[in-house]
Amino acid sequence: MTRTNGKVPGGPVLSVEDLAVAYKIRGGEIEAVQDVTFDIQRGEAHGIVGESGCGKSTVTWAILNFLGANGYVKRGSIKFLGQELVGRSGEELRRLRGDQIAMVYQDPMQALNPSMRLGDQMKEVLTVHRGLSDKEAEKRCISMLERVYMPDAANVMHRFPHQISGGQQQRVVIAMALLNNPALLIMDEPTTALDVTVEAAVLDLIAELRRDFDTGILFISHNLGVVARVCNKVGVMYAGEMVEVALTEDIYKDPQHPYTQGLIRCVPKLGSDKASSTLYPIRGRVPPPNNRPPGCVYGPRCDYVRDHCREVRPELRTLPNSVQVRCHYAEEIDPSQWQPSEDILPPKIRQNGDQEEYIIQVKDLKKYYEVQGSSLKDVIGMGEPRYVKAVENASFNVPKGKTLGIVGESGCGKSTLIKTIIGLEDSTSGEAQFLGLDITGDLTTRTEQLIQELQMVFQNPDSTMNPSYTVGQQIARPMLRFGTVPKNQVREEVVKLLNLMRLGANYFDRLPRQLSGGEKQRVGIARALASRPDLVLCDEPVSALDVSVQAAVLNLLLEVQAEYGTTMIFIAHDLSVVRFFSDYVAVMYLGQIMEIGPADAIYALPYHPYTEALLSAVPIPDPSAKQKRIRLEGSVPSAISPPSGCRFNTRCPRRHLLPDGGKICETETPPWQEDERGHRIFCHIPRETLLTFEPVIQTKERAV
Amino acid sequence: MARFIIRSLVSTVITLFIVSIALFLLLEAGSGDITVKILGVFSTPEQRASYRNQLGLDDPVYLRYIDWLIGNEWRAERQVGLDLVTVEDPVTGEDTWWADVDGHLVRWSLEDGELMQMARQEDGSTVASPADVVWAVDENGQESFWGVDDKNNAVKWVRGEGAEVWVLTKAGMRKEGDGPQDYIPLRKGLLRGDAGKSLQYGRPVSLTLWPRVRNTLILAGVAFLVVMPLALVFGIIAGINEGRPIDRFISVTSLGATATPEFVTGIFLIMIFGIWLQWLPAVAIFTSPDAILENPLLLALPVMTLTAVELGYVIRMTRASMVEVMGSPYIRTAILKGMPYWRVVIRHAVRNALMAPITIIMLHVNWLIGGVVVVEAIFGYPGLGKYIYDAAIFGDVNAVEAAAMVTVIIAVMTRIIGDLAYTFLNPRIRYA
Amino acid sequence: MAVAQPTAGAVPSQGPSRWAKMWKSISIVFESRIATVGMVLVLFWVIIGLISLVWTPYPPNAPEFQQNLPPNTTNWLGTDHLGRDLLSRLMVGTQVILLKTRLPWAGLVFPIGVAIWGVIGSVLVGAFLGLNAGYRGGWWDQVTMQFLDALIAFPVIVLYLVVIAALGQGDLVVILAITVTGAPGVARLVRSLALDIKTRDYIRAAETRGESPWYIMFVEILPNARGPLLVDSMLRVGYAIFAIGTLGFLGIGLPPPDPDWGTMVNEARKNIFTNQWAVIWPSLAIASLVIGLNLFADGLREELTRYQK
Repeated sequence: MTRTNGKVPGGPVLSVEDLAVAYKIRGGEIEAVQDVTFDIQRGEAHGIVGESGCGKSTVTWAILNFLGANGYVKRGSIKFLGQELVGRSGEELRRLRGDQIAMVYQDPMQALNPSMRLGDQMKEVLTVHRGLSDKEAEKRCISMLERVYMPDAANVMHRFPHQISGGQQQRVVIAMALLNNPALLIMDEPTTALDVTVEAAVLDLIAELRRDFDTGILFISHNLGVVARVCNKVGVMYAGEMVEVALTEDIYKDPQHPYTQGLIRCVPKLGSDKASSTLYPIRGRVPPPNNRPPGCVYGPRCDYVRDHCREVRPELRTLPNSVQVRCHYAEEIDPSQWQPSEDILPPKIRQNGDQEEYIIQVKDLKKYYEVQGSSLKDVIGMGEPRYVKAVENASFNVPKGKTLGIVGESGCGKSTLIKTIIGLEDSTSGEAQFLGLDITGDLTTRTEQLIQELQMVFQNPDSTMNPSYTVGQQIARPMLRFGTVPKNQVREEVVKLLNLMRLGANYFDRLPRQLSGGEKQRVGIARALASRPDLVLCDEPVSALDVSVQAAVLNLLLEVQAEYGTTMIFIAHDLSVVRFFSDYVAVMYLGQIMEIGPADAIYALPYHPYTEALLSAVPIPDPSAKQKRIRLEGSVPSAISPPSGCRFNTRCPRRHLLPDGGKICETETPPWQEDERGHRIFCHIPRETLLTFEPVIQTKERAV
Repeated sequence: MARFIIRSLVSTVITLFIVSIALFLLLEAGSGDITVKILGVFSTPEQRASYRNQLGLDDPVYLRYIDWLIGNEWRAERQVGLDLVTVEDPVTGEDTWWADVDGHLVRWSLEDGELMQMARQEDGSTVASPADVVWAVDENGQESFWGVDDKNNAVKWVRGEGAEVWVLTKAGMRKEGDGPQDYIPLRKGLLRGDAGKSLQYGRPVSLTLWPRVRNTLILAGVAFLVVMPLALVFGIIAGINEGRPIDRFISVTSLGATATPEFVTGIFLIMIFGIWLQWLPAVAIFTSPDAILENPLLLALPVMTLTAVELGYVIRMTRASMVEVMGSPYIRTAILKGMPYWRVVIRHAVRNALMAPITIIMLHVNWLIGGVVVVEAIFGYPGLGKYIYDAAIFGDVNAVEAAAMVTVIIAVMTRIIGDLAYTFLNPRIRYA
Repeated sequence: MAVAQPTAGAVPSQGPSRWAKMWKSISIVFESRIATVGMVLVLFWVIIGLISLVWTPYPPNAPEFQQNLPPNTTNWLGTDHLGRDLLSRLMVGTQVILLKTRLPWAGLVFPIGVAIWGVIGSVLVGAFLGLNAGYRGGWWDQVTMQFLDALIAFPVIVLYLVVIAALGQGDLVVILAITVTGAPGVARLVRSLALDIKTRDYIRAAETRGESPWYIMFVEILPNARGPLLVDSMLRVGYAIFAIGTLGFLGIGLPPPDPDWGTMVNEARKNIFTNQWAVIWPSLAIASLVIGLNLFADGLREELTRYQK
């Protein structure tokens, strides 16, 4: 491709210096971003990582001067190809946007206009900026769509956003951004809304485009693993400041700033488990922008803080190894000598031994939902009833005091499965028993006692608590309802639970809006425990939390399990978290359990081909790790008419190993292949063949 | 999309059905003895009872609902044993009922115990002759005959037992002998365009109603045509300037306009344009239902009043929707694609912004009709609103029922149009 | 401790005092200039009404003066076509709307006006129907919405006319009419709120505790709908006053002897060529009160949504 608009071939594409962005609020203003400095060279992908609220998105809006009515660049400069962007007129910026600076957004469904055909949305980038004719623009768009591996590109041009899948939408957004061959491409969490296998494919695409287009990429993400896969340079942001900038290899191998070190300790490594490793959350919480401490912003949470840090704000300085870091004592800190401070002791893990007493036994459980078709017959109720086969023949047992993790991508039926177990839905057929009591019916068929024994922890911290009632009222409610605690002791008991959650009695009268996400999640756990259940179902309890908070909540759950001997079923889409947390793991695809067994067996050979694909898609925060590259073709089929035989057969990358290209996968339901440890694989490919695969991930320490 | 439209249609039909039942029962229960209204408070109980019988009010309520909705000649035909047909009276334009005897249109009357047969001629006159009918004998040995009388009733005469009935004439009640024993007042029913007779005027409601409906549609239509473009333009201007002085000005003015009752607006407009400025006639005199076609200036003040009230509402809806759309991520995308501002507004925002208000605006049409009632009452405008108002004040049950059903049908039709427009504008439904 | 309360989830709070909390929630009104203006207008009429309960310049129904006087020093706002003092009548006109309801039995009077009772009625009925339709869904929803669709299909004024044609005039009939016409709107609002709120996890949590649908609807959902519901109710009081005025204007409003503004306009417009004051004052009164309520509600809504962000 030829560059039509490159002016300064040598210098950086983007050079941000001492940038400060402020938002005016009632009675003053807040500086969301302070003193941010970084450069992006041509062909370079510069990542910015940080937790929510650290100001990483604000930086991108500042570059595009899209700060809304109340935001403005207070200090500093933003140079694009040597030209200053700050203070430029709207019209000049408009010419740059979409032409030389393009952007890709977090949620592609939201970012595309729902009532315009995709082709029209793409073409106007060319017709407006380049003055191309409609026909020429169409041709360019189609070839760009083909470039991003969009199947059936010409046809997609005539479609509306809702008619294509999320992964395809993001490809359209990327293609649209690349149409004018921009010098700078800004990507703000481009894969966060996508499933892990789709995410892997999009990340591959981004890495490939970066090589081919010679474009500078600014890549924003909260996920260390994603950044490691795409970027060659990473900046870490904390509380509106850039605290460390380094090459990707260095930052994961040898982090300099205590915050970066803390972040890396928070994340479970893929393959590590609770028995052999510990997660160390960072204590405290991110200060709000209007209440940042004097001195080092990270000071109050830093394990190495000294008086000097509390008084003097460190500058971003360059170390001899060319890493830039904002810390007074970076040279003196050795992370390998780090000891957790006493207030974040690792949780006790209860070794329950191998009990054979199963608390929950599920056999061939099915859940179908009836759906209404759209034909005339269906509307008047004459059509054939059709079903979404959300869960098909699920069978598993969970021993008392153990944890079963369920992983799978969205729509795999994992949420339906636990809804059925807890009784929010009744089951269509099959058996399910809790301590010998039937739980196939919904809540209306269950006794008070049974209801009390099964409780749930929810995903979204913002909706887990009723905003109208105080923390105390909400935790007390289950105790009162089930009468587990005499009325005059309720308050005492609630406070006890609050203490266990590390919240303290002063939280009793707080309203949910006064709590942070992690605190709300803890209250949610306390409420689930209030009725003293034997089985707690956790539906992605940490996936909406920042990593440092995530670690704390995971530790808390482990502690609860140790304290009460609670059995748990734990759903998550993050394979590392599930592996860390669970004793047993089930992998689901399209309503079907594909593989189930002890956690270590799932993450080691032999794998089910789908598990293998999932593992190879996981972004690992370790650029030195070798990861097998297996990408699934196509998208998940409809659960209304799932593929016959093995449900995975339409996308299975391994079925060619079977004779006839795996004809049998389409015609026959696979057998359960079980070993002596209870590890079961639902596949036609013989276990022996599966064992001959290479491990997916190989790092210095371990192979997964 | 088909599913969406069919659902909407099915729901509409059910809605209309429920409305018709509710309306019928409500007026049935509330209007009391309507014979008092017709015959006056000085009528005797005997007169009223006789008249009730003639109006078929002694039938059970479900039967009368069915009569009202789909007519009753089918059940009269079973009694008479002949096809019953209607012919338009050349003088009054009203429908008259006849029995079809081998192609001849016939009615009967009982005179001095003798049954007379009146055959209709081509010119509309009738020729009377003694009827050669066979009296049917029932189990009591009573000889009776079902036929059609000259007042459009299917009636049952009993031989030798002409009943004494009170007949309403222009001069008052008159007692007549030779009356029938039982009446089925023939009607085609609302579904076939026959809403019965106005109790107030004694003429079929459908004849007087249609010119009124037309006038109202003209009034509302003109108001709609004035309101829509203005409202959308102002709403969009306010929406894209959210929080700026021009938005404040448009928002507060339109809020003031909607929150002011129509009669206040109307009266002020009369005072300003009719009394102080004397530009327009303060009191319009509508000499005939067709007056507005002859002098369209008479429409000016009513249309202005309706516009003032509606304009504000639609502006506010459009503004709210525009504000929401302008803050959406896809507008951000369009801006960050470097599209010129007006291209963003017109190509990206407006269509999405109009989707939500269009259904609400269409739902609002029945509010407009409410406004029409008041506006027509202020200006004495001969429309549906005034009709329904007059009928309600008089307690003219048939007229209220018919006119209310018409307003409901108008409201429901506009809702369907709104639904269709929504499906058309929204590709998520159109290409679901 | 009052832990026995079955509704609130129990345990009394010991936070800042009730008054401080109330002041905090009221003070958001003053954040918005629009809401403040609206509240001043509304309070103005409430105070006028309260004063009129104990004092008016002259008896409102006594024709003591010359007819059709313009404003002057004795009659500040002038007199009407029967020689009654307009100011006194205007003041008393607030009572039936905002402050009292006349019962048909032996001249009994009940506190709080017709407009407000009507809105309370429609909120009660509407919230009940809307919660059931929204939370239970399915069959409940279908039937309720179909029924409400039918009610909504009636143009409001036509519905008023029909109700009044059927039941006659009277304060209670007007309350009923306002309830019937307002309930569908409230139900739709509550239903949409319930549909949104019921997807929240805390509703799942209540369900997994085996709470009854009634508990979930009224204890878990309804309190979280109170903001929008309050704003909507305020708008509805405005519409109710609007409607009462209109009915009065059409000559079928609140029955005499107490004057109501719509009836005043209706009577005065017959003399509009000779005396415009008698039309202007009650028209302004009704418009200012309704606009005041609308401004108040609008400003409040803006502040509430900003508060949530």
